[in-house]
Amino acid sequence: MRELHKMPEPALLNMTPQSITEDALNRHASAGSKFWLIAAVLAGLLALGVVGFFMLLGEGFDDRAAWGYYAATFAYVFSVSQSAVLVSVALRMAKAHWRRPLSRVSELFAAVGIFAFLMMLPLLWVLPSLENRRSLWFDAPVYSPHVWDTIAMGLLVICGLGLLYFAAIPDLATIRDNGGRRQGLYRMLARNWAGTRRQWRALHAGIGTLGGFYFMFLIFVHMMISVDFSMSLVPGWKDAIYPAYHGLSGLQSAVAVVLVTMFVLRKWGGLSSYIEVDQFWGLSKLLLALSLLWFYFWWASFFTYWYGRTPAEQAVLKLLMFDSYRPAFFAAFFLCFPIPFLVLMWNVVRKTDWGPSLAGVIVLVGTFFNMVRLYVPAFSVEDPTLHALEHVPPAVMPGLPDVLVIVGGLGGAALFYMLATRIFPITNIWELKEGLLLQRVKTLLKTEVRVLAKPE
Amino acid sequence: MQERVRLTDAEINRDLLRSIMENPLWYWLLVGALGSIVLVAFGAAAYMFNQGLGVTGLNRPVMWGFFITNFVFWIGISHAGVMLSAILRLAQAEWRRPATRAAEVLTVFSLMTAMLMPLIHAGRPWRVFYWVFPFDWARGIYPNVRSALVWDPAAVFTYLTSSILFVYIALVPDLAVARDRTTGWRHIMYSILSLGWRGSVRQWKLQLIAGILLSAIILPIFVSVHSIVSWDFGMAVAVEGWHSTVFAPYFVIGAVHSGVSGVVTVMIILRSFFKWQDYIRYEHLDALAKLLIVVATAWLFFFVLEFFFGLYSEEAPEIALREMQVFQMPWAAYFATFLIASYFIPVPLWLFKKVRRSIGWMLFTTILVNIGMWLERFIIIVPSLARKQNFSFTWGGYTPSAVEVIIIGATFAMVSMLVLLFAKVFPLIPIGDTKEGVVLEDSIQVGKVSVPAIVRED
Repeated sequence: MRELHKMPEPALLNMTPQSITEDALNRHASAGSKFWLIAAVLAGLLALGVVGFFMLLGEGFDDRAAWGYYAATFAYVFSVSQSAVLVSVALRMAKAHWRRPLSRVSELFAAVGIFAFLMMLPLLWVLPSLENRRSLWFDAPVYSPHVWDTIAMGLLVICGLGLLYFAAIPDLATIRDNGGRRQGLYRMLARNWAGTRRQWRALHAGIGTLGGFYFMFLIFVHMMISVDFSMSLVPGWKDAIYPAYHGLSGLQSAVAVVLVTMFVLRKWGGLSSYIEVDQFWGLSKLLLALSLLWFYFWWASFFTYWYGRTPAEQAVLKLLMFDSYRPAFFAAFFLCFPIPFLVLMWNVVRKTDWGPSLAGVIVLVGTFFNMVRLYVPAFSVEDPTLHALEHVPPAVMPGLPDVLVIVGGLGGAALFYMLATRIFPITNIWELKEGLLLQRVKTLLKTEVRVLAKPE
Repeated sequence: MQERVRLTDAEINRDLLRSIMENPLWYWLLVGALGSIVLVAFGAAAYMFNQGLGVTGLNRPVMWGFFITNFVFWIGISHAGVMLSAILRLAQAEWRRPATRAAEVLTVFSLMTAMLMPLIHAGRPWRVFYWVFPFDWARGIYPNVRSALVWDPAAVFTYLTSSILFVYIALVPDLAVARDRTTGWRHIMYSILSLGWRGSVRQWKLQLIAGILLSAIILPIFVSVHSIVSWDFGMAVAVEGWHSTVFAPYFVIGAVHSGVSGVVTVMIILRSFFKWQDYIRYEHLDALAKLLIVVATAWLFFFVLEFFFGLYSEEAPEIALREMQVFQMPWAAYFATFLIASYFIPVPLWLFKKVRRSIGWMLFTTILVNIGMWLERFIIIVPSLARKQNFSFTWGGYTPSAVEVIIIGATFAMVSMLVLLFAKVFPLIPIGDTKEGVVLEDSIQVGKVSVPAIVRED
């Protein structure tokens, strides 16, 4: 057990800029047969999802309840992938040096945004018009959510892709300058990057601005999606914290998905010299804090409703937690708070690669159940124009099309991520090399310590 | 640009013990003036106890006014301590060091002041004893334990106790420094208080562990305190504008905004009083202002959620209340002032590095934030009560009386006086922490530039 407490110095500090570049270029040049085999399996899952989608389509758009699981899957993919980009943004803002090996891992999730956007489009036909019902849009034209949600989601995806691309320009230029295949593509993508002082300054300013904008815009889109696709469909559900809770849940699952991705890349992706226990330790503390906040936001909402005790509030509690969807709610609750909390509260577990990754898997499963208990019942309410929910509709159990859509949604998301790694190198070459300049090991009294520079 | 000055241990001891060792005239004049204001307020409170609550502006339906607003405000200020000491300690933010003690002390004194407010508001404070343990279950004379109003004192006293412990644990090494440099009764006092501190490796290790454990344990208390204060309002379905699920985090983040601003104000004033320019540097103000930009923006987001989802219900009384807050005088003036003062002037200004590194601007903007945040609490509490009843002939208004204004004004004097008195006995910038910061400071040469660096604490 003593070994677990020991924080090994990063092997990265023993590498040279040249070795980082060479390793990244070699890795990027050929993906290997295993990569393509997994991609083919994921493509197969996506194909199953497409079959499930067409089966749903066959039932038409009028029966909203039939689309509940599709909506939950969309919300899950959107929430996890688009928030995952934020992990890199937040850590870069905080100038955390340990972020360097994981920033590209996080930013690549922007590519999954394209898939989430495509998944959202059919839902626009399922969403009822605004006539005679409460919504974010008050007296705006009846198709406001359809139009504005599409535009907002589209802009968010573009912004995320912009961030991914912008932060990768120096690496794309490195690939361009080192020969290899697809030179035309990289000449185009790297533009005229020559690494001048002006270009570096513009790059840092651009990443900061785009990151800040992405942060705020993501929260805004969470508000639109969460209210338009769930809260406003349930009469009597007036929950001011809900958009913030939805966003926070996204952030929690984002940290979880980055942890799980890091684990996979470390164990089977050959990145063990870059992604070390330090990265798991740093992110696990963040996941612990977010799990506590998840409980706090949920509790603030639940408690106010519980004390309010009006018929409308009681009906909403029954619908989302205590009646038809009780199993999904309890699964979501235990997997999003108590279990990850109990796993991550031990520093000895946080300082491993498996502990935080296990918590990450648990949170990801919990978040999926959470989306199910929020979106499926909302889509099953027949008349959203009522003042309050008069009776709690029965639970909608997943049928074959729903299962296919869920499998296809998850497979498709993973496939988009994998394909993006064929364009953008998974190791962030320039940030890793920058890290070498800004860190050193020195002896302080009898101990070897790491010194970290904090440039303004 | 960093303004670090390499200081020796002797210089640090001399500078940071200055407030204890020296006895300038201005200090006693200032304490005397503040004490006089507090005495006047005690007189006003005594007059009110004698005459009854009729001498205040409180009347049906507005039975919560300046006192309760001030209670929420001071509870809010108290949130700076944990934010700066516990959260930044856990996050290993180096720039926290000079601000932590001031923040913790402000927490303790603002909590004490806050708890005075409901006592005074009760009109007959001795009857408050019916509210505290032991409850008289046998005769059925006990408050409703399911009410957030009953949890409030428990949460606040827990926070107060843990905050005092927090201050004390961090003080122990500094008390030993004071012990070694004093004589007479002060030496005896510091000897007792420093608990035999010798600075051994074991003692430092225990102190470090205690600090980290307390930081982690105090966090849930910190969140619970203002959440429960918010539930004093949020649990009430009958009062329009209060029954909102977002109230708890909205209150907590607002408290952090107000509290951190309060700490910056106090730090700037103490810096000029005790000539601590080498310790409270521009880089610290810069970092605090950046933190405030994030906190203020998060607070604004929660404010928007609270306000927007009030309208979302599309219920006539709720919309009427919001219209009153925003468009009817004098509420409209308070509302506009609160928003402009707490966000739309300070935050855009903090985006400029020159402002973040200016003593004058930072003092101005942080005072402005707290004017705005005081008004925010007033705007939340009073208009909702004024429109509490369904019938317009039972609506009311509220104008505070001179007694209330004097007591409220004096709370600011009291907290200032208590901080100054504390500075006379205990070092207000942590000496041990500052020395540790000096040891951990470093720099890395990158090309021709020397970049400030820090030894990583695992």
